[in-house]
Amino acid sequence: MTSLIRRLWYRVTQARHDTDLSEEIETHRQLRQAQLERGGLSPADAALASRRALGNVTLAREEARDVWTLAWIEHAWQDLVLAVRGLRHSKTFTVVAVGTLALGIGANTALFSIFDSLLLRQLPVREPSRLVVFDEGSYTYPIWQAVEAQTASVFEGAFAYANLELDLAVSGQRQPVDAAYASGGLFDVLGVTAIRGRLLRPSDDRPDANAMVAVISHRFWQQRYAGADSAIGAALTLDRHPFTIVGVMPPGFSGPDVGRLDDVMIPFAAEPVLRGVDSGLTERSMWWLEIMGRLKPGVSLEQANAALVTLQPGIRTASMPADAESFLEDPLTLVSASTGRSPLRRRFETPLRAMQATVAAVLLIACASLANLMLARALSRRRELSVRLALGASRWRVTRLLAVETVVVVAAGAALGVLFARWSSAVLVQQLATWRGSVFLDLSLDWRVLGFTAGLAAVTAVIAGIVPALAVTGVAPGDAMKESSRTITGDRRLSVRGALVVVQIALSLVLIVGAGLFLRTFAALNATPLGFAAGGLTVANVNLPAVVSEPAARRDLLERLDAAIAAAPGVRAAGLSVIAPITGSGWNDQIGKADGPPTAERRAYVNAVTPRWFATMGIRRLIGRDFARTDRIGAPPVTIVNETFARRFLAGRPPIGQRVVAGGPRDRHEFEVVGVVSDAVYRSLREGVVPTMYLPLASEESPGSGITMTVSTSNAARSTVDRLLADTLHGVDPGLTFSVRDFDQFIRGGLTQERLVALLSAFFGGLALLLAAIGLYGVVAHAVDVRRTEIGLRLALGADRLGILALVFRRVAVMLAIGLAAGLGLSLWASRFVGALLFHLEPRDVTTFAAALTVLVAASALAAWIPARRASRIDPAQVLREG
Amino acid sequence: MGLTNTPSDLLPGTLELLILKALSHGPKHGYGIVEHLRLASKDVLQVGESALYPALQRLLVNAWATAEWGTSENNRRARYYTLTATGRRQLAAERAEFDRMVGGIQGVLRTT
Repeated sequence: MTSLIRRLWYRVTQARHDTDLSEEIETHRQLRQAQLERGGLSPADAALASRRALGNVTLAREEARDVWTLAWIEHAWQDLVLAVRGLRHSKTFTVVAVGTLALGIGANTALFSIFDSLLLRQLPVREPSRLVVFDEGSYTYPIWQAVEAQTASVFEGAFAYANLELDLAVSGQRQPVDAAYASGGLFDVLGVTAIRGRLLRPSDDRPDANAMVAVISHRFWQQRYAGADSAIGAALTLDRHPFTIVGVMPPGFSGPDVGRLDDVMIPFAAEPVLRGVDSGLTERSMWWLEIMGRLKPGVSLEQANAALVTLQPGIRTASMPADAESFLEDPLTLVSASTGRSPLRRRFETPLRAMQATVAAVLLIACASLANLMLARALSRRRELSVRLALGASRWRVTRLLAVETVVVVAAGAALGVLFARWSSAVLVQQLATWRGSVFLDLSLDWRVLGFTAGLAAVTAVIAGIVPALAVTGVAPGDAMKESSRTITGDRRLSVRGALVVVQIALSLVLIVGAGLFLRTFAALNATPLGFAAGGLTVANVNLPAVVSEPAARRDLLERLDAAIAAAPGVRAAGLSVIAPITGSGWNDQIGKADGPPTAERRAYVNAVTPRWFATMGIRRLIGRDFARTDRIGAPPVTIVNETFARRFLAGRPPIGQRVVAGGPRDRHEFEVVGVVSDAVYRSLREGVVPTMYLPLASEESPGSGITMTVSTSNAARSTVDRLLADTLHGVDPGLTFSVRDFDQFIRGGLTQERLVALLSAFFGGLALLLAAIGLYGVVAHAVDVRRTEIGLRLALGADRLGILALVFRRVAVMLAIGLAAGLGLSLWASRFVGALLFHLEPRDVTTFAAALTVLVAASALAAWIPARRASRIDPAQVLREG
Repeated sequence: MGLTNTPSDLLPGTLELLILKALSHGPKHGYGIVEHLRLASKDVLQVGESALYPALQRLLVNAWATAEWGTSENNRRARYYTLTATGRRQLAAERAEFDRMVGGIQGVLRTT
């Protein structure tokens, strides 16, 4: 092996070796001459004799060189040089071929590296195959305590965690950081060890422990502390509370959830300090954490699930809330967590698979395209190849020459593709990030991604290389000598090329149909009326200080906040709400019939808002009144409903003055309808308008610690709105913290997935169309060239030009018809899988299919028209003269 | 001086063995090796002088020796070959093999 490296190194430095050898042989000769002169010969005789003594120096030099070379390396090298030289001579071909492949392989690699990271890669922990997660989360803290206490027979260890966002700021605008509460055993169970300090342990997570400790991610350590050892023991402010950093998590470990990187992890025992009265540790109906476990060695998932069935009643009894009717009735189920848990995976798996299929089709088209180009190239080089054969090159050697050319093109395409993939996958992941939080995916090239790319390249080389290689078998050494300009017979190789074009057309149709469906979905969502004036709104998520925990104090603070922001300079209108629209968050209640109790089928979404919130959001009041300052706790409970609510639940009677019963079976409230407002989207564009009832914020019995503030400002004040909010909030209470978003960001964020899918599928659909058109053009142009004499003769014998056009187009029509029929069948079949991604659109939408067919037919006609027209303009006289 | 350009009148590999042996006493340049072989064999072994160089390249390829430019005894720039540890092991192995071979040949010659 090392001698192989020495040989290769010799190749690189061969020039120096040659001069060295010549020089040392010359030294040798001079030494010999000097000795002969000392023996009494004249210098001239001595020089001659020394030369004789050396013998055949040229032969020796060649032998010395041969020592270093191996025949197969030499031949491979020659092939490579020849191939590269050949490719450099046809630059257009090379650029098109390599570029097409780089796009095809790059797109596949990019998506696969996301796919790999999100779906395939195991967690970087000890024996991930034994990890399981409680399915269909979330769970309450008492359930976790019961699970921990009662499942020792199943688990070697279990842990709970809850993701959250913490604030690093000491005051003012929030500096959010992705974080998680972790039960004490998390790191022990996962088998993750610290690279500095120590990680959390069970003793940190007891009620009597000093729980104000934090471990940080490797990234956080590098970014904030520049990887210094002094980070251990340093103070870290989290949500205004002092924590001490005790350790750094290893690089590559980003937490139990895939798609997110927890920069900070703190024990659950710190939660009561951060949340105060809102603490969830004793809450039996607050579902906010995930539970994972490590199965005992030898316990299978089925056995564990069976054991859990018998354990569930105990867990249920230990954690049941007082007023529960149905609680933990569905069986607790464990699923494998070897690749971690991932809400992101759930959300993006279907679009990701659809896109992966799309780019696979693109690569197939690129393969067909490359095969076609290679074949055309091989055919145009028949004369050169037959000369090579005639001069004694073996058929295998000539075939190999073409194969090496394919390999060089594919290798260059794959290398460029990997570069393209590195860049584009990072861009794609950035696009997945929404206002709601950053997305973290480890996109480092692991063996699986590189293996995938290498495999793709190999398959591509085989598909694209085999056709032209076969074509060479038809070349005879004598071909070069023969003139073959008079052939009229059809060419078998043309039918191979025709078949390749048919494949391209079929796959293009699938991609164009997909692009059409996704573009129309995006357009439909984009055109969905929101029901409010989104432009120029700023949304702030405000957090109340933890010291303000009494409901009355909170209500008072919210009221002062509302008054202050409305009076701030430059503010046109402002309002507070518990829920910010189109953020995906929601709060719903069951609605009772006029004469019956609330039922699960009758659900309405709820929001609590201040007066003027409707005006701020641009939601119109249709009848009745707005909320007033007097609608507060103690006053008669009132509600404002939207049109859909009124239509569905108020049964066509005049809404004002009607009474609405809302709530669960136990905590039932009755409200009087005082107004109806226009419909507006509540949770997401896809969900659209839902029955909504609004309650006065001031009548909330126990307001939460967070509130959404929506501010409409004048254009002049927009650029300084951050400053304005900071000043106003500081004036109301220095303990208030907030983060600001432009409202348009919510809308854009809600359509991330649709926009991405539409953009990508449109891009690849366009690319497929272009490749198919180029392929068709190439085949038709070649066919016209081959039949030039025949066409000339036909024209000379009286055929009219229209007839020639028809002759060419008949051939195109056949290819197109076969391709479209196959593509249509394939599209109809494939459309079943994208139904979930569409909006207000059938997967077999006739308009989309018809449009896609039209586009493809038009593009094909255009591609065929150019060579067809050339055929019809052939000058018969010239053709006859040529002959 | 009778000159043959190929070492074919030697047993295959013998030239390398002789060079390895010549180098075992210390670094030498090409001319020095030829002279050493001539003197040590009392003029019996006369190597075609340029045939030495392919053999030396074989030593380099196998990393049995390294080559470095230096200054010869009479102030000429000459390329010196130095035996490596692998080269010494190779010398021992080839020498044993050679002895075995010669023993075999002698055995054959004696019986007839």
